[in-house]
Amino acid sequence: MTVSRSAMRFARSGRTVTALGLAFAALVSACAPSPPAPKWPNFGGDAHRGKLLVGRYSCGACHQMPGIEEADGLVGPPLATFSRRTMIAGLLPNTPSNLVLWLRHPQAVTPGNAMPDLGLTDAQARDIAAYLYAKP
Amino acid sequence: MTRDSRHRPQQLIPSRRTLIIWLLGVASVLAVMGLGALAVVEGGLFDATASTPDNPIAAVGIHTTFIRSVQVRAAHIQAPASFSPAQVQAGLADYDASCADCHGAPGISRASWANAMTPSPPYLYDAARQWRPRELYWIVGQGARMTAMPAWSESRSSDQLWSLVAFLEAMPYLTPDEYARMRPRARGTGAAEPRLSEPHQRAGR
Repeated sequence: MTVSRSAMRFARSGRTVTALGLAFAALVSACAPSPPAPKWPNFGGDAHRGKLLVGRYSCGACHQMPGIEEADGLVGPPLATFSRRTMIAGLLPNTPSNLVLWLRHPQAVTPGNAMPDLGLTDAQARDIAAYLYAKP
Repeated sequence: MTRDSRHRPQQLIPSRRTLIIWLLGVASVLAVMGLGALAVVEGGLFDATASTPDNPIAAVGIHTTFIRSVQVRAAHIQAPASFSPAQVQAGLADYDASCADCHGAPGISRASWANAMTPSPPYLYDAARQWRPRELYWIVGQGARMTAMPAWSESRSSDQLWSLVAFLEAMPYLTPDEYARMRPRARGTGAAEPRLSEPHQRAGR
């Protein structure tokens, strides 16, 4: 009961965000069209690859991330309990599709914030999201 | 077994035989370790690629070694009591031209190739909260071995190095917008050009 309701909520917000994402893609006309609405909880991301990407992109320079070497940054929020976070950047509800949107285009979501656009591909963002959600 | 040994307090004074066995054991362990080291060095067992991350235990060891090395060697350096806005501006211009490709800047990511470096060059937004000014001066001036961090004292005066430190100290107080406004290229002045030639002007900057 609870599970199905939250699943519906995720599906609904997923559609909304996909629409937003499509509008965004049309605006910048640089991104490929958004993929179909991702399925929660596993939407094609690989948590193991995500962990490697987290190291390569130095996420830990700004975020505390237990299990990642030298990930002790305090510029942005700690990411240990990301799966239980309610909002992303205080702005987006914490859904997989919103997380992918944020990871790929933080400067489009919140212009002028400290997190740079890292140039992540959609697949890379999904892998990182899968890693963040794999933590309890 | 002799009467003596039976009455000797055990553990405190090992017999000669026990000593010899122990020494042989230690020697053989050392021999195996030496052969192992030889195999790694001569046998090509060490993975020297940048495409695979460091072993986590080795990474912690290397990082701690670096931190302590910097702390000890920078201990004698006398940092200025304060930095002027002009120093911050000069340091920002130098940083933007020579450091941001690898270390990023407020709201600006590193060059994409910097993501393929091992060890990964850190973003430095809060470097001033992790290092003392004299330690930053030491790292910038002397570089970091077995990373791609050069010793910038080769091409920078002491004043220029301190200006870079001044900027690093100021960076936690700069918003990405302020940083963008203070960049020389954004203002189009061409001021404070770095002394090193820079063939890799980044597109869109």
